[in-house]
Amino acid sequence: MPRPRALVFFALVLALLPFLLRGLAQLPALGHYRGPYGDAVNALGEPLRHVTNMVSAVNYDFRALDTLGEELILFVAANGIVILLRGARGHGTSARAAHILHRRREGRSEAQTAGGRLLAGVILLYGLYVILHAQLTPGGGFQGGTIVFAAALMLYFGEGYAAWRQLIRSPLLARVEAFGVGLYLLAGLLPMAVGARFLENILPLGQTGSLLSGGLIPVVNLGVGLAVAAGFCSIALELLEETRESGGEAA
Amino acid sequence: MNLMIQALLVLLVVSGAGVVFTRKPRRQVMAIAAHGLVMGLLFMALQAPDAAFSQIVVGTVALPLFFFVVLAMLRKQGEDA
Repeated sequence: MPRPRALVFFALVLALLPFLLRGLAQLPALGHYRGPYGDAVNALGEPLRHVTNMVSAVNYDFRALDTLGEELILFVAANGIVILLRGARGHGTSARAAHILHRRREGRSEAQTAGGRLLAGVILLYGLYVILHAQLTPGGGFQGGTIVFAAALMLYFGEGYAAWRQLIRSPLLARVEAFGVGLYLLAGLLPMAVGARFLENILPLGQTGSLLSGGLIPVVNLGVGLAVAAGFCSIALELLEETRESGGEAA
Repeated sequence: MNLMIQALLVLLVVSGAGVVFTRKPRRQVMAIAAHGLVMGLLFMALQAPDAAFSQIVVGTVALPLFFFVVLAMLRKQGEDA
């Protein structure tokens, strides 16, 4: 005997299903874009900004203010996690890697360590490539930043927690993250110092296809990349520290 | 809609069902990782490599890691209590 709640659910599903199917039937087919803005950006991005990746042109130039908001959301979220978790543990215990009490320590295989080191190098290089080529090829600061974060995680998988904490230092992460956000804000404020609008692209646009094309786009993009990589790393670091008993001797 | 996108959509349904029907939390986290990887491949097939980068790193590496951390924290708190 189904519960009344389930009966109400199925009755509503039957009643609303025709509307859903009607809406789905009228969706444009896969790959048939009908809005005007995408076509406009595709047509204007190269002549106006000398870039070939239109997603970056929108994110870091035409709608750079929105991206600044997203950047600040990530910044505040990462800081909130650090403050909450580290504050609850106590600041004095955060400098050293904590360990897990009563855990049988099993050595990791050489293959795991070697694999982690190998992958970390390759992934880090690829992440930096994606960050630096934001205005040319698909990708950008956010994507590249997450890839750099993945490289940091490979080091953790390969080296173990204590060694990882030796490599990835919390104060350094805080500075890199703050520098990334500060670079973005500075790129917004400096144009105002010379009489332009906030985040207006005042730098020379350069040659289309060159690494330095797009004026301000590579600058704010670098800020996003640094802030995202460091922000994700600090979140992971604080969460991982939370699974351990802090204050003990790190093994 | 070419064959690769159709195959990936079918695979997406399979991996999504895998997430729903897995009962043990730790296995479910691995199912989420597999689901995220299929989603990333689908984004790649739909010519959105930038979205695929984020999806693969966040959905296949970061999200499962955070879930494992939460599971480990719950286990730790269970031992303390």
